Amino acid sequence: MTAPKGYVAVKRYDEIPEGGIVPFRVDDDERILVKLEGEIYALSGICTHEYAELAEGELEDHVIYCPLHGSGFDLKTGKVTSLPATEPLPVYDIQIVDGVVYVSREPRQG
Amino acid sequence: MAGRRSCVILGGGVAAYGAAEALRAAGFDGPVTLVSAEPVVPYDRTTLSKAYLQGQKTVEEILFKPAAYYQELGIELRLGQRASAVDFDRRELLLEPGERLPFDTLLITTGAEPVRLRLPGFNLPGVRYLRSLADAQALREDLSRAERVLVVGCGFIGAEVAASARTLGKQVTVVDPLPVPLAGPLGEEVGAILAEVHRRHGVELRLGQKVAELRGHRRAEEAVLERGERIACDLVVVGVGVRPAVALFQSSGLPLENGILVDEHCATDIPGVYAAGDVANWWHPGIGRRLRVEHFDNAAQQGAAAARAIAGDPRPYTPVPYFWSDQYDLNLQYAGYPGPWDQVVLRGDSAAPSVTAFYLRQGVVEAVVTVNRPRELRPGRRLVEARARVDPAVLADPSTDLRALAQSVRQAE
Repeated sequence: MTAPKGYVAVKRYDEIPEGGIVPFRVDDDERILVKLEGEIYALSGICTHEYAELAEGELEDHVIYCPLHGSGFDLKTGKVTSLPATEPLPVYDIQIVDGVVYVSREPRQG
Repeated sequence: MAGRRSCVILGGGVAAYGAAEALRAAGFDGPVTLVSAEPVVPYDRTTLSKAYLQGQKTVEEILFKPAAYYQELGIELRLGQRASAVDFDRRELLLEPGERLPFDTLLITTGAEPVRLRLPGFNLPGVRYLRSLADAQALREDLSRAERVLVVGCGFIGAEVAASARTLGKQVTVVDPLPVPLAGPLGEEVGAILAEVHRRHGVELRLGQKVAELRGHRRAEEAVLERGERIACDLVVVGVGVRPAVALFQSSGLPLENGILVDEHCATDIPGVYAAGDVANWWHPGIGRRLRVEHFDNAAQQGAAAARAIAGDPRPYTPVPYFWSDQYDLNLQYAGYPGPWDQVVLRGDSAAPSVTAFYLRQGVVEAVVTVNRPRELRPGRRLVEARARVDPAVLADPSTDLRALAQSVRQAE
């Protein structure tokens, strides 16, 4: 089984718990996978405000909240929903092939 | 409608930033002018006592957005311009040195000002307050030359400045009249935990004590406490609270009482005039009383709420107030309604510390504080938001899953 071009395999879909936040790395880049209502989202794992691991954060209404200062990011777009962060969180594209979740190497543009 | 309505935002803090962004996001297409007495675009004031003071961030790094961003939004910036008067009948602001700036709608986000101590010697050089970037620049400069720092007042500003000064290797003494730091907002239990953290980091605490006077020749060199103790210092930082910045409105006809009185849509009694942030004393319909909150998150969100009301999409502003404080490597977060409580329930390890505190009034969870336990903040906040009644023993029990508890409370509503 080969990864789609520009994508890396991360985890089997079934191994990600509903409502779970799973940290992973692509090279030295910390990222997270989120499963919510069956959908998978992939985002940068580090808050854009100050260094904080979003894998330790909380999900509420399709927003992931930074554990340290409450910055909120929309899971789908990475857009800031609450300060203190002002820069969006990079989001990555997902493909699921044969039950395996693949994540794009490069962030989605715009 | 004859022409597009204009909006003037008076003030340049996070409430102004939140409002500027939200006005355009809500489709307000009239002219917007942001007038700030500070000569810089809105920035993150919360960094001034922490990362900025410690030299870990530059001015550019604490700006929310560069000036070009406001240009993109079509927002005119009037920086370094102070308003000297307001005329609500003619609907214009008087800017120094004499310009008249008309407005259709006015959003007041003038914030708060540090309370100045009027004790002997506090007018000496070497006494600093911290509110603005200019204050922080001056303090950073002084701090680089100081060895012995005296912090007067152990509220959030005092506690964070003390932590930053210790982190920079200074000798630090903190004087506060209360028996523990931050006893007012956080209570004696959490205050005692914070006191221990500061002691462990080498801060000299003089609690339950007051400064009587400062002495010095050209600069403050020594503090004398009311009990007679003398403390040598070469820098004094005062953090004894703030009061709403309403001087401009004293005889303007705008209803004032502990700030500017506004309703749940941030509107004052004067049509088209709104207030948000530290200066606004607003009616919170969710809890049926007025609140005035002196924290970043409220200012950001209330600025945005006022902007939506101005843009024609008013929604009641009913937040659970939230703030954080970082001191050394300690992270504290608070979500809840300030005010009296009759029981504090602690969960976790006070010595580490890794603690969550719940503040209950008549059995209802009014507030939650996490100390180095960030994952419990949002579940705790959900309990506050639900006005939940929870058995204190269940809250204190470390085996209670707070997320599941919050979920069950939500579903029971």
